Amino acid sequence: MSQMAPARTYTQIVGAQFSKNKLAVFSVHIIYVLLFVFIFADFLANDKPIVMRLKGSTYFPVFREYGVNWLGMNWQDEFKSQQFKILEDDYEAGDWAIYPPIPYSPNEYNLQVKLQPPSMAHPFGTDELGRDVLSQMIHGARVSLLVGFVAVAIYVFIGVILGALAGFYGGIIDIIIQRLIEIMITFPRMFLIITIVAVMETQSIINIMVILGLTGWTGVARFTRAEFLKVKNEDYVVAAKALGYKDFRTIFRHVLPNTLTPVLVTATFGVAAAILIESGLSFLGFGAPPEQATWGSLLSSARDMLPTGWWLTTFPGLAIFITVTVYNLVGEGLRDALDPRLKQ
Amino acid sequence: MRKSFLIQFAILILLIIYTNIGDRSTAAISNSVVGDGGGIRVELTGDETIFDSSPTDLAPQKGGTLVMAISAEPENLNYYTSTSAAATRFLDYIYEPLLDYDYETWNYDRPVLAESFAISEDGMTFTFKLRENIYWHDGQPLTADDVLFSIKSILNPFVDAAPQRTSFSKVIEAHIEGPYIFSVTSSETYFRNQEILGGFAIMPKHIWDPQGLMDRYTVTDLLNPTITREEAAIKEFAEAFNTHPQGRPVGDGAEPIVGSGPFKFDKWITGDYMSLVRNDNYWGSDQTYIPGYSEQGSYLDKIIIKVVQDATARLIALKAGEIDFIPRMRAIQYFEQTGSQDFLDKYQKVSYVVPAYSYIGWNNDKPYFMDKRVRQAMTMLIDREAYNKYIAYDMGIPTIGPFYIYGEQYNHAIERWPYDPARAVELIEAAGWIDHDGDGIRDKDGVPFNFTFSISAGSTSSKYLALMLKEDLRKVGIVVNIRQLEWSVYVENLRDRQFDVVSLLWIGGLEADPYQIWHSDNIGDRGSNYIGFKHAEADSILYHARFEMDKTKRNAMYHRLQEILHDEQPYTFMFAQRDPGAYLKEFRGAKWIPIRPGYKLYSWWRNNTSQVSPL
Repeated sequence: MSQMAPARTYTQIVGAQFSKNKLAVFSVHIIYVLLFVFIFADFLANDKPIVMRLKGSTYFPVFREYGVNWLGMNWQDEFKSQQFKILEDDYEAGDWAIYPPIPYSPNEYNLQVKLQPPSMAHPFGTDELGRDVLSQMIHGARVSLLVGFVAVAIYVFIGVILGALAGFYGGIIDIIIQRLIEIMITFPRMFLIITIVAVMETQSIINIMVILGLTGWTGVARFTRAEFLKVKNEDYVVAAKALGYKDFRTIFRHVLPNTLTPVLVTATFGVAAAILIESGLSFLGFGAPPEQATWGSLLSSARDMLPTGWWLTTFPGLAIFITVTVYNLVGEGLRDALDPRLKQ
Repeated sequence: MRKSFLIQFAILILLIIYTNIGDRSTAAISNSVVGDGGGIRVELTGDETIFDSSPTDLAPQKGGTLVMAISAEPENLNYYTSTSAAATRFLDYIYEPLLDYDYETWNYDRPVLAESFAISEDGMTFTFKLRENIYWHDGQPLTADDVLFSIKSILNPFVDAAPQRTSFSKVIEAHIEGPYIFSVTSSETYFRNQEILGGFAIMPKHIWDPQGLMDRYTVTDLLNPTITREEAAIKEFAEAFNTHPQGRPVGDGAEPIVGSGPFKFDKWITGDYMSLVRNDNYWGSDQTYIPGYSEQGSYLDKIIIKVVQDATARLIALKAGEIDFIPRMRAIQYFEQTGSQDFLDKYQKVSYVVPAYSYIGWNNDKPYFMDKRVRQAMTMLIDREAYNKYIAYDMGIPTIGPFYIYGEQYNHAIERWPYDPARAVELIEAAGWIDHDGDGIRDKDGVPFNFTFSISAGSTSSKYLALMLKEDLRKVGIVVNIRQLEWSVYVENLRDRQFDVVSLLWIGGLEADPYQIWHSDNIGDRGSNYIGFKHAEADSILYHARFEMDKTKRNAMYHRLQEILHDEQPYTFMFAQRDPGAYLKEFRGAKWIPIRPGYKLYSWWRNNTSQVSPL
């Protein structure tokens, strides 16, 4: 590197370091694809048209669905039953509809086409009720990613705060928090989760996210505590104290930003772990409610169909494998990029 | 990231254009019609009440071992205190009752241990004359003492036999009139008296009560709470009875269970198998054992009943030759995984009818299902035929009421509600469930039509049914939530009536008394009428039919009851059940009968004539 180049920021350095790892960069692009699926699932697989021209008016049923679900809007009288495909039978001249690429919703069943192997109409085949597997996987991706991110967000939040307090103050607070961490990690996590879920009255994805969040924070807390111990005697922290800043400001404005990088790495691995645990729980029947398609529950219901229904296990299994792998690869890439010892 | 998203967005647009131009015909590739899976479909129609699924060209011969597999192991083998069906089925080969079904007329009047019996004029006292040539497996004679001891054990309030005891709650007196004559009296002329008072298994007194602790007490004493509370010996006996080693003969060295039946207890290795050997001294061997069913006591030398919990493992064991007979397989195994010519050459697949029916129970006290028009509509909204055809592999037999489809109580004149969503919507609207506030969900008096369908966590068929119902009802403006519960929690909620809708199975008999399930007295207090069905005429029929001893009149009453149930639809009656099974073709005499469990191994024998003995 030339000496003339303008001083680079920390982010730029890390970014350059990261981009040397081709596998990690590739993985990031796959995560972009997953994110895209996450955001646009309703436009990718839906039994409602995106745009529809009916009897002289234009409708946007997919958008309307958001309105109905989130803004308290109601369906137009023509669409009360939400059976758009039936409307096609009495189309008049000039009526048309544009459907998403996969014109099936995840819960739309058609017994006549049950257990069909992959075909043009159903690229990933159909399940035992004749539901489209690809549509279920696209909407299942939402659940998997949501669980991953929300659970990790919850436990990073808890872990960072507890770790920061333990590391910054030390003494009795540190002892209490450390013992708390030790108590938490003595429970086998999977069994703890299964026990809590079994006691829960209702099955929902939110429960899973909260439980994963509440049980997973110990690693983050330990990392944060260690970083705090390292940083808390640095000159700028001493300066902050000397300036009479409140502890709150010192911890969260000055120390925390300098300790977050290792947490970021753990979080990336954590997302992969959370997705895997959710799949496992759904596979065992403890996870999502039956009407909610997730990758794990797809796998679970496909178990009985082997060896004939290979497509029912192959595609959701691959999806879990790919997702978990790319998060781990990105995590590794980040860890390497952030590690100053690996820098030339 | 922005570039990445732009590219993906462009791909999405292209995909939408691509999939929307041209003919988007989702041409339904029609599924191959479900056949019989290469097996025999047992139909017990007309006069045919026994169905032999094996060739009848050879005369039965003795010898051979049969290995069958069941899914659950009994917790103990005490006939009165065990609550598992597996225990009852196993012990039915060892113990015998006084009377049993006649396998030709299917009346409960074939003398077994009894030689003859008489009913008093008022129909309340039954006197049984026992055969004098019957000996227990240990050589002791079986006498009226044993019969009296057995009924005393059931009636002893400290014996853990509460479910059995409810059937005997009307017994007021029992005694012996000589070594081979036993007499029992009930306080009412109930039509099932003969089946109950002649149908309990007789256990040997000299084994279970060697000290004669119960000799001092009469049946009347046992029914008197003051006496049972004060006499310590009664409780002492019950505790010994509940924990008697004969009730749990586990391991290699255990004392065998002593009974009187055509099979003797051999071994019970927990977690592995239970086995029986033929009783060569069986009292019935020299006479026709069950007319029309099994001509001699039994033919097989040995029966081994393996416990294999997992259905897939059971099928693998069958294919590997470790098991000869699976009485219950999963429909998907029967239709999809056992179709190869090799399998069909070696094994005979049979689907046979069992006296059980599936139903959807609507909690009649919930605002949604109070009105019978809504319940009728619900029935018409469920495409039961499609469910049967595609999900249940056509194994269900459409049923309209709670009685066994092959019994005389069943009313064949009633026509099943059709699948008719349009008419259903009319009925729902007539009942006042209209979308008043325009949110797409029907409501009445401010209550949205939004209910919960409870399913048991293990049941895939109810899960599919619930998913179908959810999707179908959404289209007519009704919201269904699905709730999966562990079986124990499920049953608890059922008893406490904390549910909207359940999907379950009732197991019945050839002739049933519907009083427990449908009479309004059994609502609440953990009664079986947990859906809360209440109907004055039905109550009256249910009460009076119990005391109607004329079978024709009684059945006419029950036919009327089915008309009421059909009109009220407290349940949506789904299907009478078939069980699919498979056995090695070497076995003959595989006869299927209309009582539980659908077969008795007495008649089975192994055809060794064509077999070269392996080295």
